[in-house]
Amino acid sequence: MRHQGRTRNLFIGAGFVALLATLAVGQAMLERTADAQTNGAVRAPRFEVDPLWPKPLPNHWVLGSAIGVWVDVNDHVWIIHRSSATLAVNERPLEMKTGDCCAGAPPVLEFDQAGNLLRHWGGPGQGYEWPDSNHGIFIDYKGNVWIGGNGPADSHILKFTKDGKFLLQIGKKGARRRAGAAAGGNEGDVAGFVGGSNDPDNFGRVAKIFVDQKENEAYISDGYLNKRVAVLDADTGKMKRWWGAYGNKPDDTPLPPYNPAAPPSQQFYNPVHCADMSVDRLIYVCDRVGDRLQVFTPEGKFVREAFYEKDTLNSGSVWDVAFSRDVQQRYIFMADGVNEKVRIIDRQTLQELTTFGDGGRQPGQFYGAHSIATDSKGNIYTTETYEGKRVQRFVNKGLAPVTKQHQGTVWPSK
Amino acid sequence: MRGSAPLRTLALFVFALSLAARVSAHDIPRDVTVQAFAKPEGTRFHLLVRVPLKAIMDIEFPRREREYVDLARIDPSLRDAARIWLANKIELYEGDTRLADPRIVSTRLSLESDRSFATYEEALAHVTGPALPDSTTVFWEQGLLDVLFEYPIQSDRSRFSIHAAFDRLALRVVTALRFMPPGGIVRAYELEGDAGLVRLDPRWHQAMRRFVSLGFFHILDGTDHLLFLLCLVIPFRRLRTLVPIVTAFTAAHSMTLMASAYNVAPDALWFPPLIETLIAMSIVYMALENIVGATGSGSGGSGSGIARRWIITFAFGLVHGFGFSFGLQHTLQFAGSHLLTSLLSFNVGVELGQLVVLALVVPVLDVLFRFVVAERMGTIVLSALVAHTAWHWMTDRFGVLRQFPWPAVTAAGMATLLGWVMALVALAAIMWLGSLVIQRSSEHYVGESR
Repeated sequence: MRHQGRTRNLFIGAGFVALLATLAVGQAMLERTADAQTNGAVRAPRFEVDPLWPKPLPNHWVLGSAIGVWVDVNDHVWIIHRSSATLAVNERPLEMKTGDCCAGAPPVLEFDQAGNLLRHWGGPGQGYEWPDSNHGIFIDYKGNVWIGGNGPADSHILKFTKDGKFLLQIGKKGARRRAGAAAGGNEGDVAGFVGGSNDPDNFGRVAKIFVDQKENEAYISDGYLNKRVAVLDADTGKMKRWWGAYGNKPDDTPLPPYNPAAPPSQQFYNPVHCADMSVDRLIYVCDRVGDRLQVFTPEGKFVREAFYEKDTLNSGSVWDVAFSRDVQQRYIFMADGVNEKVRIIDRQTLQELTTFGDGGRQPGQFYGAHSIATDSKGNIYTTETYEGKRVQRFVNKGLAPVTKQHQGTVWPSK
Repeated sequence: MRGSAPLRTLALFVFALSLAARVSAHDIPRDVTVQAFAKPEGTRFHLLVRVPLKAIMDIEFPRREREYVDLARIDPSLRDAARIWLANKIELYEGDTRLADPRIVSTRLSLESDRSFATYEEALAHVTGPALPDSTTVFWEQGLLDVLFEYPIQSDRSRFSIHAAFDRLALRVVTALRFMPPGGIVRAYELEGDAGLVRLDPRWHQAMRRFVSLGFFHILDGTDHLLFLLCLVIPFRRLRTLVPIVTAFTAAHSMTLMASAYNVAPDALWFPPLIETLIAMSIVYMALENIVGATGSGSGGSGSGIARRWIITFAFGLVHGFGFSFGLQHTLQFAGSHLLTSLLSFNVGVELGQLVVLALVVPVLDVLFRFVVAERMGTIVLSALVAHTAWHWMTDRFGVLRQFPWPAVTAAGMATLLGWVMALVALAAIMWLGSLVIQRSSEHYVGESR
């Protein structure tokens, strides 16, 4: 009996040793495979939508068309939206006093990383002209909040403190009104206004603002009526320089509709929708309708360009860009509100690596993906215009080999 | 003159009220992070502190147009703020001696985008370097107050303690303190509100005392661990049977607790809910095993019964150890250079807590089974109650766990998984060897009894 027991124990012991050896060999082989995969594959950041961010708004507030997002140095997410101006009557019975829900939220909202609403403000006030159609938001290195506007008469930009205290207005509302057009009449009459892309004092429906800390200069995406990038002193608002497509002097002569087969236009289409600076001090300009991203030096010297889904018509494919938060900013994230996706682009080559997103109203989908920003952890935030009317967060899941060109909805996997 | 006293008092009151309204024109912030570096150098202790200006109340900062700070005249206000809101709230000790009020070497107002507090050297250079140009436009609530304090000390090798009562700066205050004693070590502390006296370089016995106490109260706070313990001992209450079971639990949870402290555990969001679910599952399993037939000793206990239970206890102890580590994560910052001592002390505290519980529970169970209910029936009823509670925990915790996605199947992930399987197989081998030894000694004991 004792002998049998010994033999059995010997077999069990040998079994343990054999199993461990097999596992060790298997692990070594898998590690080798993993190394090979890592070395060969194109890699890009992978994202998943966070369907629980942000938390519900208080006071039965709802968002209107959301047309700007930025993340400040504290990783707080700021958005701007058009509130009641873009809400149907049946979306805001509380405001109309016809029911309990809902009402348009204040235009400027600040969220923390947990999705809590921290500050909210905005709208007309003493000493400044609130835009007819606010557009774009940026928090500068001093903590100031910049806002543009693309309403017919909007030819100015505003600067506030984070609490919404007015600091500065640059340009005057209505400055682009065509000579002889009825002043103060129908502000919605788009035809009553004319571009002024060489005006040193006013703008033409500004889409976005970016402030460069090093030179204390604001880069203005100008805009829906003008066709230029304008650069200002961020304290005084004094315009220092401006340029058009390819660094040309901007020309407001109306352009024919965008034709993918035609040679690229020597002027920007409307709108010039973004002008963001990278860490190596290059300015990336979104020619939204022209389906192209043009890169410039801070002085306006053209560097290069790239086209994305060049056959996209109407509102175009290049809506907004944000940079990845690694030291070199290796990737560009581009919002495309027609094809409803976010492109992940190699910043060095300007080549699209992969995309995520799809049209729809579920988390991770888009309806008018309009603006995009990143936080310090590399998470992406998007806002949607039209009837999209929301802000979404896409959580950075780290670099991964690209296995699909178009990932579709990056729903959290279970 | 006498008649005007009430009027004067009233006037003074109105003046004070108006002054208060003027200087506290902003609300107490909700969240504030204070950044600090503490570095003893020779006979000086340097403390660098950064705090958002919005957290400073009751100090008037000179302003110019549009409420921009008047940088040309701001230094006295910054010094007042540094003294009243920072220096007066800090108690610094060298050994047991409280140091005198510090000298304010330098103050700076910085932009909120300034990143110089990433390292001590950068922060020091920033605070002692050129100030922002007077023409800089900074809205006063959007600035940062940077201060360099200097305390005279006997030696930079002394043991320092700090009590930073910054809790009044905001509704929630987090102080990120980095202590940099000579030798290139950096100890990072994350203190919430008023964290009391923090020993920046505790002696081994101070760390030990703190962690024994933490371990002791941790087990007493942990209802799930206590219920697991109860399940373990309901059928095994004699010393001879208790010792291997409790030892197995202790050894196992010590292993994984230490592994966690040395960052061996997966650093994934799904890991804590997985462990919490497994802990609940361990209680359910143990309770069900009691119901379906574990007999031990209340009535003697068979060798195989004990062997089976200690093996299972060991396995579940590994899981509970990870659970203990979650409670320990935030407090390991107080271990100083005594990480191992602190971990062992925490374990000792846990064991002491377990012993206290056992010392109370075992006699109560004995009395219960002797005078109130038959042992078998009592075991079944008690275990059923425990199983019921743990079942609900298990389903609730599994609900949380389900919210996390399964990790993508990759070669790298599979290699890591195989590494864990290897560790488990090695452990199983060790346990098998252990069971052989116990079986032998048990046979030897029975043989001698005959």
